[in-house]
Amino acid sequence: MFKKISLNKILIYFFLVAGAIIMVFPFYWMITGAFKTGEEIIAFPPLWLPSHFSLDNFIEAFNKAPFLRYFMNSVIAMVGSVSICTVTTILGAFAFSKLKIPFKNVLLGFLLGLMMVPFEMIVITNFRTIVDLGIYNTILALIIPFTSSIFYMYILKGFFDTIPDSLYQAARVDGCSNWKYLWRVMVPIGKPSLVTIILLNAIASWNSFLWPSLAIIDKNLKTLPFGLYSFVSEGGAKTELMMAAATIVVLPMIILFIFARKHIVNGVARGGLKG
Amino acid sequence: MKVTIEHLTKRFADNTAVRDFNAVIESGELVALLGPSGCGKSTMLNMISGILDVTEGKIYFDDDDVTDVVPEKRGVGLVFQNYALYPHMTVLENICFPLEIKKVPKSERVQKAMEMAKLVHVDNMLDRKPSQMSGGQQQRVAIARALVKKPRILLLDEPLSNLDARLRIEMREEIRRIQKETKVTTVFVTHDQEEAMSISDHIILMKDGELQQIAKPQELYDNPANCFVADFLGNPPINKTYGVIKGGKIILDGECSIEDERFKNLEDRDDIILSLRAEAIEVCEDDGYNCGVIDEVYVMGKEVLAYITLGNNKVRAYIDSDESFKVGEKVSLKLKKRGFFVFDKMSGERIL
Repeated sequence: MFKKISLNKILIYFFLVAGAIIMVFPFYWMITGAFKTGEEIIAFPPLWLPSHFSLDNFIEAFNKAPFLRYFMNSVIAMVGSVSICTVTTILGAFAFSKLKIPFKNVLLGFLLGLMMVPFEMIVITNFRTIVDLGIYNTILALIIPFTSSIFYMYILKGFFDTIPDSLYQAARVDGCSNWKYLWRVMVPIGKPSLVTIILLNAIASWNSFLWPSLAIIDKNLKTLPFGLYSFVSEGGAKTELMMAAATIVVLPMIILFIFARKHIVNGVARGGLKG
Repeated sequence: MKVTIEHLTKRFADNTAVRDFNAVIESGELVALLGPSGCGKSTMLNMISGILDVTEGKIYFDDDDVTDVVPEKRGVGLVFQNYALYPHMTVLENICFPLEIKKVPKSERVQKAMEMAKLVHVDNMLDRKPSQMSGGQQQRVAIARALVKKPRILLLDEPLSNLDARLRIEMREEIRRIQKETKVTTVFVTHDQEEAMSISDHIILMKDGELQQIAKPQELYDNPANCFVADFLGNPPINKTYGVIKGGKIILDGECSIEDERFKNLEDRDDIILSLRAEAIEVCEDDGYNCGVIDEVYVMGKEVLAYITLGNNKVRAYIDSDESFKVGEKVSLKLKKRGFFVFDKMSGERIL
């Protein structure tokens, strides 16, 4: 019995370690690559560590392209879309979960059906819309189309559904308005779900590439992933510079993940939602 | 505060939950809404609180017609079966919440909440979250929260169903005590007859959305209005025997005649039910009247429960443990002063 358990454990840990190496290695390669010189990165056999850690590549990358600018654009687009989206998500989820609306389920089914339309298909109509709105090639074009999400709303509605109606009734006989009940009771209770939704949304926004590449042409309005793409295609084949630039792009998300790991894992494990 | 319910009806899409209901709940009383599951008692409670609309009829709080008044203007305190405490707030914050909504200044709020916490004996755990408390403690907090805004009426929906047996007895006495101390008119819903009998001033007994009887607990037990009321109350359940009335006697199915002074003036009729409480039957040695045969005997300590065959019917009766009747022995039954009733079999109406 004892033997069997330990063999099981060895196997489990073996696969976990193997999986972790496969996941982490590209990051390791990217980050160490960012510190290597041009010769070191193409050396054979490959070098595990650069001979010395110099920030030259980062400085050169920053000099060649306005990464700080890109970074700010990404942050503005992310904060803008995520914050507005979170509010609309909360309101929509509450309405669908607790309020009496005629044809509520039909409406919800219809909205959920829209999720089956891939984003690539609505790119053209979205594009026309932002042109008509006169916000083409502005930061607003990166925010407005992402201010609501059926997917997140549906996840949050699922969580709100688990909050017993008796809480709502208890609050109502005490004279609590829907508005106050939502923000004083539902939202605090739903905090773990909300944090997960915000994080997933933030990551999606940070990583989005297709839409910014269509909606933006101004060099100064590019977001990080789009900026990285232009940098790579314009900057030629200097691998170490690409590595440095890529590191700059993913670093904020890695930091975010380290701090919010608990919430992300919690949310995924608890709600069974996949990003 | 007195509650008057007049011709109250609640129809849902496909069924009628409450039908033409009339009742008066006197001021300062603790009243139980009793009935089997699905009889509409929670629907009644929700209509009194205003959570549910009324289809027809009127509800008055004292002289005010509150039928169309929104819940928050009625001044009701509600306690739910699952307590419905806000899980992210501490005990103190939970109790304060109704006052917070009313925009009571913070110091006053806290002071009033502390008073309530003291009343329900949770004042030593004000900083705890509901999840750190037992069911009984959570229920106390829920009662405090319902009472803190000084409601005109306190409504409790199956307040004890989620508690284990011992806590249930403790909490029902607590509810009684709190109600006596605050003197607030209280209505509580239960399907447990013992709960209702033990603490309420009056019991409103319902079945299928209709009122069966309103009475004091003892009155309900001693003087049921119909067969359902007699069946519903009492443990062990009342004995039901079937037969006819003929010549001032009751002839049970299986040609077993039951005689008693009080049957003498009854008119002949078919299809009646003679219901007998176990403690209303006196078992004597065979003297030729009301004869039955002892079928089974269960010793229960201070008394003995015997199953006695009367024709085709079987009844339970208590025997003193110092009497020694054996299984198979023929005995005579005498009816004591009270605890037996005659009902019409079809309508369930009381005949005697």
